[in-house]
Parts: sequence; C-alpha cells; structure tokens
Amino acid sequence: MFHLTFVGHELRRRLGRTVLTALGLALGIGLVIGIIGVSQGLDDAQTKVLAPLTSVGTDILVTRVAGETAAAGATATPATTPTAAAGSQPGPDGRGPGGGFFGGRGGGNGVNQADAAALLAENRNVVTDLAKLGKPGDHFTRDFFLSATLVSFPADAVSQIKTIPGVTSAVGGLVQLAEHQTGTVPQIVASIQTGGQTFTQTVRPDPMTDAERAAFQQCLATKGVTIGGPPTTTAPTNPATPGAPVAPGDGDAQRGGGGGGFRRNPAFEECLPQRFREFRAQFTTPLQTIQQVVDPPSTDITSQSYTAAGLDPTHPEVGLVTAEQLTGGRWLSNDAKDEVLLNVAYANTKSLVVGGTIPINGTGYKVVGLVRPTLTGSTADVYFPLATLQTLAGKSGRVTQVLVKARGASEVDAVAASIKKALPGAEVVTTKALADQITGSLADAQSLVSRLGGALAVIVLAGAFAIAALLTLSSVAKRVREIGTLRAIGWSKGRVVRQVMGETLGIGLIGGVLGLGVGAAVSVAVHTMSPTLTATNPVIPGLTSSSLSGFFGQARAAATTVHVQLSAPLHFNTLLVGIGFALLGGLLAGLVGGWRAARLAPAVALRDLG
Amino acid sequence: MTETLYDLRNVRRVYRSGAGDVAALDGIDVRIDSGELLAVEGPSGSGKSTLLQLLGALDRPTSGSLMFDGRELRDLSERELTNVRCRDVGFVFQAFNLIPTLTAAENVEVAMVPLGGDRRTRRAKSVDLLVQVGLGSRAGHLPSRLSGGEQQRVAIARALANEPRVILADEPTGNLDSTTADEVVEVLQSLSVEHGVTVVVVTHAEEVARRAGRRIRLRDGRVTGADGS
Repeated sequence: MFHLTFVGHELRRRLGRTVLTALGLALGIGLVIGIIGVSQGLDDAQTKVLAPLTSVGTDILVTRVAGETAAAGATATPATTPTAAAGSQPGPDGRGPGGGFFGGRGGGNGVNQADAAALLAENRNVVTDLAKLGKPGDHFTRDFFLSATLVSFPADAVSQIKTIPGVTSAVGGLVQLAEHQTGTVPQIVASIQTGGQTFTQTVRPDPMTDAERAAFQQCLATKGVTIGGPPTTTAPTNPATPGAPVAPGDGDAQRGGGGGGFRRNPAFEECLPQRFREFRAQFTTPLQTIQQVVDPPSTDITSQSYTAAGLDPTHPEVGLVTAEQLTGGRWLSNDAKDEVLLNVAYANTKSLVVGGTIPINGTGYKVVGLVRPTLTGSTADVYFPLATLQTLAGKSGRVTQVLVKARGASEVDAVAASIKKALPGAEVVTTKALADQITGSLADAQSLVSRLGGALAVIVLAGAFAIAALLTLSSVAKRVREIGTLRAIGWSKGRVVRQVMGETLGIGLIGGVLGLGVGAAVSVAVHTMSPTLTATNPVIPGLTSSSLSGFFGQARAAATTVHVQLSAPLHFNTLLVGIGFALLGGLLAGLVGGWRAARLAPAVALRDLG
Repeated sequence: MTETLYDLRNVRRVYRSGAGDVAALDGIDVRIDSGELLAVEGPSGSGKSTLLQLLGALDRPTSGSLMFDGRELRDLSERELTNVRCRDVGFVFQAFNLIPTLTAAENVEVAMVPLGGDRRTRRAKSVDLLVQVGLGSRAGHLPSRLSGGEQQRVAIARALANEPRVILADEPTGNLDSTTADEVVEVLQSLSVEHGVTVVVVTHAEEVARRAGRRIRLRDGRVTGADGS
C-alpha cells in the first residue's frame, strides 16, 4: 500500500520525468497500434477482395472451364490426360459431346476437343429462328441460356466430392448467361413488277405459185367473185416480186383508193391458200434477272442479357449467394419451382420488387427475395432454384460449379488436391490460392507491411523501450542518494527494485493510455486520408460479375480489379496489445533501472553523498 | 552495568584501486557501550565515514572482528545486514537524505515499511515521532517546504522509527546554522541520556564533540586519540 502511495507521489511529483518517459512509450505504442491497425485494415481489405469465395460460405470452388486462361494458371489443373471417353460421347439429351464429365485439358492447344465440342453444344441454342417464334405479327418473348466458357458437368460430381475425406459439404450450382428477347415476328414482303414489254415480228411469205393462183381464182369464181377491171381486176402484185399476188394484209396499201378491198370478203379469206390464212411462229424472250432492294423487315425485337444462377434452396448457408446476403423478402422455398431471388442492383435497374413477377419462356417467376452479393461476389442477377434453371437451360442434372466446404482451414489444400485427383480437368480454386494471386497496390502494401511492418514495429518498440529504459536509468542515477538512503534504513534490494519497477509500470500505463490516443490519431489520419488501394483478383471461373458490370464473355475473361479504401481500424484486442506493450516497456525499463539500483551498494551510495 | 554494543578489534577496510590498495581503516580497536554518546573526529580521509559504514552494517571489514550486539557482522548475509540496518540502526546524514517526494510523515514511515504492520499504526507513530522532535504541525509538508533544521529533525525522527539500538550521525550539523545545530545536538544528546540509545556522531564541530560522552580521533585510518570515559 505504501508502495502505491510512494509510486503515486513519485509519478506526480516528478512530472517532467513521468511525462517524458510516458510520451516516449506513447509514441512507440501509438505507432505500433497504427501499424497493427493498418495491417488489420489491409487484412480487412483483402478479406473484402476475397469475398467471392468467403462470402458464399465456401473454401473451394470447383468448375470446368474450357480452354486455358492464363490468369487462372496458378490454380489451374495441370494438363492431364483427357478423360475424353465420357466427354466425347453424345450427351443424354442429345446435345452432343457436352454430356461427358470433366474433359481435362488438351496437350497444348488450349481447348481440348471434348471441351470444344461440349462448349459448342451448350451454346448452340443461341440461333434465333424467327420462323419458329410465330406467325408474322405475333408478339413473342424468349429467354435462352448459354454456358459461355463454363462447361456444365453432371451433378454426380457433387456427390463424388462429398465422399472425399475432409469435405463437410458440397453444393452444386449452375451459372448461365441468359438472353431475354422480346418483340414481334416480322413480316417480309417484296414487291416485284414485271411485264409491259413489246415484241415486233415481220413475216414475208413466198409469193403464190401459179397453181395456187389458179386455184385461188377458181375458188373465187366459184364463190361468184370476179377478179378483174382496172385497177382491181388484176391480182395484187407483191412489190418485191412484181407479178406475184400480194400477201394478205398488204392489199389495202396496194389497192390505193380502189374498192372496198377483197380481203374483207369472206370468200376471199376462204379461197386463200392455207399458208396465207394462218401464221404461227415461236420466239423466246431474252433471259433477264430482276433485282429489287428489299427493305429490312420492320420489327421491335429487343434483347437484354442477364446472368442466371441456380441455387440449392435447401442449402441457404452455402451457395452462389447465401441467406446472409438477403436484404429483403425471404429465401427460396425448399420445393419452390417458380420462385427467384434478384440481385438488388439488378432489381433496382429493372424496377423489380419483392412480390413482382418476371416472365420467362411462358412462365411467371415470382420474386421472393433480394440479395446483395458482396463487392466482387456478385455472381448473378437472377437466382433460380437449381432444378428450375436446369430445366430452363436444358441442362437437367448438370451443374457448372461445386462449392465445397472443408472441415478446417488446414485441410483446404489437401481437399483441393483430392478433388483435382478425383476429377481430372477440374478447375479447383481455393481461398488461399486466390489470396496469393491478388495483385495491385493492396497486395504491394500488404507485402510491404508483412515484410517491413513487423520489423518497423519491433524497431519502434525497441526504440520506445530503449528510451524508457535510458530515462529510467538516468532517473536511478539521479536518485543514488535516495536509493542509498532507502537501503541504509533497511530497504532490501528487492524492495528497492519493486519500487523502481512500480514507478516504471505506472509510467508504462500512462504511456499506454497516451499511446492509445496516438494510435487513435493515426487511425483517424488514415481514415481521413483514406488512400485507395487496388486489388486485382485473378479470374475466378464461375464467380464473375453480374450483367451490370460486364458483358458476356468479356466479364469472364477479364480479371476483376477492386478499389478498396484503406482504413486502420482499432480493435479492442489491438488496444489491449498496445497497453500490454506499454506495460512490457515499463517492466523492461523497471528491470533495467531496478538492476542498476540493486547494484548500488548502500555504502557506495552513502559515500556518494560526500 | 553497561553493555558493550560494538566491539571492534583490529578492523581493517581496504579498498582496491588502480594505484594499489588503500586502507581506509587500518587496524582499529574500538568498543562502544549501549547508551553511549560517542563523537568521532578526524580530518577528511581519516576514515570516519568508513567507520560509520562498518558500524551501520552498510559494509563489511576487510579483516578483523566487528561484533555488534554479540554478532560478528562480517559473517552476516546481505539479508541479515539489511535486517540489522532496519531494526537496530538509525542513520542521520549531513544532507538529511529525505525522500523529496514524500511528506515529513511519509519520510518517517518509509523506515517502518520493511517491518510491515498496519499502515494506520505506522502513520500514527510517524506523527508521534515528529511531535517528539517538535514538528507535529509539519507532518504533511514536503522536505522542500522545511528548513534545514526541520529536515534534520525529520531525519532523526526517521532514524528513531524502528526504535534502534544505535543512532549513527554523519556530520549531522554540517549543513545547519549554529542555533539549529545546537537544537539537533540536544535532541541527539537527549536520545542518549534519556532514552539510552547509543549515539555515534561523526563530526568536525568542536561544539558537538564536546557534548559527547567520549571522543575518539582518527587519522589515516587509525585511532590516534580518545577522550572521556
């Protein structure tokens, strides 16, 4: 008790020494708290960046990706002998070789044949056949689903993974790129105008022979028609062959102003030789190509793309989104077929709310909940029950990824290796592997802090401790008279050391409290400056952005760059560590000072008195 | 019948230095009885302070025998010497040597702390002792607020705190004016005469030495003379 009083008096009445030593410690402690805070902030930032996996309650993500993706190289399954036996078989639904299991990678040309065929098959229904959408003028809506670069595989993989030791749960998921088309079937009419051409033919029959003429004249005579008398008494003469009778039709011209013309006389018609009475000729019009520009059909087809994901409604704790990410409404019912969850951002863009309905291929799907996937974990816009999406996309019994939870963090690597072995060709991504692949200023800062932060903290602490120890030593040296006196009047070495240590611990406590203030100031300063760090995630097959932040394949090919504001949070534990370091500093200074004081022989101390 | 408190026989205290061994005390034979007021005189470097340190169990003789109350101090452990200092010896220094951050009462109490006991009892005893030396009203003052004489009286009260067998005073009046010095010497004298406490005073002051029952003079580590009974 007396010691406490003594310590209190010493600290209060030697305020200069107390404050100086405490400030030295406080500065060191504050900086260390700041370093820990920044390190914590970087960890928080990385956790945020790693959200794609951690936010969906999983440790390992298994997908099958067609082709090589350089960014995924670190976690990509090494080239394996393709298990193409299954992959090359036509699928059960007749969609070609996509019906196989994990196809594996080709030797060096990127996509192996099985993958390529599967990919083609899974993207085949992109063809829009207007003729099949209805009659011209009919209104239609149509949603089609594509696998893009993700190749689906049988959901048997899920149960296969569940049998791997160390796996606590495995849930299948299906991600599809969806295209929603709506519009009117166009009517295509082309008007082609033909006809209006004039054909002219000139026929020159041979003049009548004498026999024909004789028969002709005789016939006329028989009919009571006389031919004679100027000028019409002579038979018409063909100008081309003087003396020959004129051809029918030429008579009028030859007759001049003569009588009424015998050609109109039926007897005359009847008596003409056959070859003058009837003329038949064949002629063919020249070939011609008619070209006419046909205007594009008038239609109002609009197309909107979105990302669709299939969830297992019975596993709200792990999946492409989890129940924790619900911001409104409720989770999918276990037996729901026509319920969907919407990404909040997508719902806002489309003005959709809980309770609303979205029509897809003739069925209305009820929006039962809104989810807010984390920053980089926005995996889809519309979340269907897995079975529903499988049916819609024509991929019954197939999934594009398996989300695996390991028993413990230490088993993740072993489980991942087992999965790679069990499913050749599988892309297996682990949180840790993902963290190792993050690049950008965040990674740089983290690397810097992890390499230098600890050393800096040690240096700063050592400096602060050294200052405290030196000041304590100096204080002890100045108090030789007092310490000698205490020893002379019966204080033992231990009691003197305890006294000195009590004082330095008190100073340490004050330094710690001041240090918390310095640390808080550092934290506030970091918050105020709020430097922006960038972190570039590797490509995570199957966990990419929603349609709001990317387009079709591009979103899958590009790595995700996330901007994170750095903060230096002050956690309770950090404060405890700060106080702990301050007390440790005080203790060390006390030990040094106490050791020095204990070494003072009381006689020597008294001799110093002169 | 008087009891021998100290019995020094051929006591030597040699300090080793670069220039060779220096004998601060070179074969001293002194006996000090209980209740005696002994003055030790001598020029600087004669060995007065060294003698005081040996008597106060602050140091051990290099050779010779130093019996204190029937115990050979040379054979005592550090812990036992500390115990002797705590229980049987009271020091009064020329520069008072009060703890500047403690009040007068606390400076007295500090000597009682090693013996433990109830804090309240210690406080009461401290104030009593200050009253005895005429400083009852100054118990709560810091040394810096006290005069030299007052400080020395506080130091005497502290020396008496554990009811020691002997008071060792090193030039107790060296920093005091003559009036105050007289007061202090009176206090020491009364301790010896009235309370039977052995008092050994190292002094240059003739006035102080004269009031001692016995005087010994040192020179070059040897006793060169003695007066009195």
